[in-house]
Amino acid sequence: MPDLSQQKLDQIAQMWNMRGKGLITQMALKIEEVSTEGVLVRMPFNPDFCVDSDQTLLHGGILTALLDSVFGLANFVAIEGVSTMATLDLRVDYLRAAHSRADVIVRAHCYRQTRHIAFNSGSIWFDNHVGDEIARGTASFALTRGETSLFEEMTRGKA
Amino acid sequence: MDLQAVSMNVFRVPFFRFLNFDIQEVGEFHAKAEMAFDSRHIGNPVMEHYHGGIIASFMEATAAIAVQPDFAEVPVKPINLTVDYLRPGMKGPLTAHATVTRKGSRIASVRVLSWQASPEKSVAEGLYHFLLV
Repeated sequence: MPDLSQQKLDQIAQMWNMRGKGLITQMALKIEEVSTEGVLVRMPFNPDFCVDSDQTLLHGGILTALLDSVFGLANFVAIEGVSTMATLDLRVDYLRAAHSRADVIVRAHCYRQTRHIAFNSGSIWFDNHVGDEIARGTASFALTRGETSLFEEMTRGKA
Repeated sequence: MDLQAVSMNVFRVPFFRFLNFDIQEVGEFHAKAEMAFDSRHIGNPVMEHYHGGIIASFMEATAAIAVQPDFAEVPVKPINLTVDYLRPGMKGPLTAHATVTRKGSRIASVRVLSWQASPEKSVAEGLYHFLLV
């Protein structure tokens, strides 16, 4: 498995720590594994993401949002010299009802990159239920390559 | 089904409160909703654009209401979705309009457009399937 440079890992940690306001903070994502082969991320249970009054059934949309976020991370890790990234399209299958208060685990990777486009796929399950996939998704991203990296873009003016 | 009853239904769903939208129209085969921008919806913290997943979630919510505005416990079951992102969702309200293109006995197909300035300039377009049984 190709190892990431310490510099890249430090950048990821910094980017993750300063993501500030926004949905990714609301999702309280924790990176469990990261390499150019892919990423594994944990989302703790959050009752705000449920559809039922008992708050045990997650809305599909939050799983879609989780895939979109983690695809972005996988691309940042796998692709050098990306200045910006935008989701072009996203397809998600909801494979079973997301009925649990367990943490959600997502694995995602960039399976193909070209100069302009990245292609991603990912899978979601509840912690300790790796065989019972709850959602699977694919996406494509438009990449802009340039002098300034996404990381520099994000940290600019934040010092 | 009157708007007030639909709105009360929407308000019962924790994730719909998280999204924070109002239903503006609901008919037999369509629904229109407007979501207020909130910092928790942000995907790109530099540009303060909507997170693509929030846009897809809001469109899914509007689609589910178009299919079944009078849901009892939880909104109608989603099967899958495809979303095309056409423009960035800027800071400000976002409108979604869902049209049920086919409602059979078991499956419903729904087309959803979302926009900000005008419906001709879509932020995203999506196709959603729901299971009615």
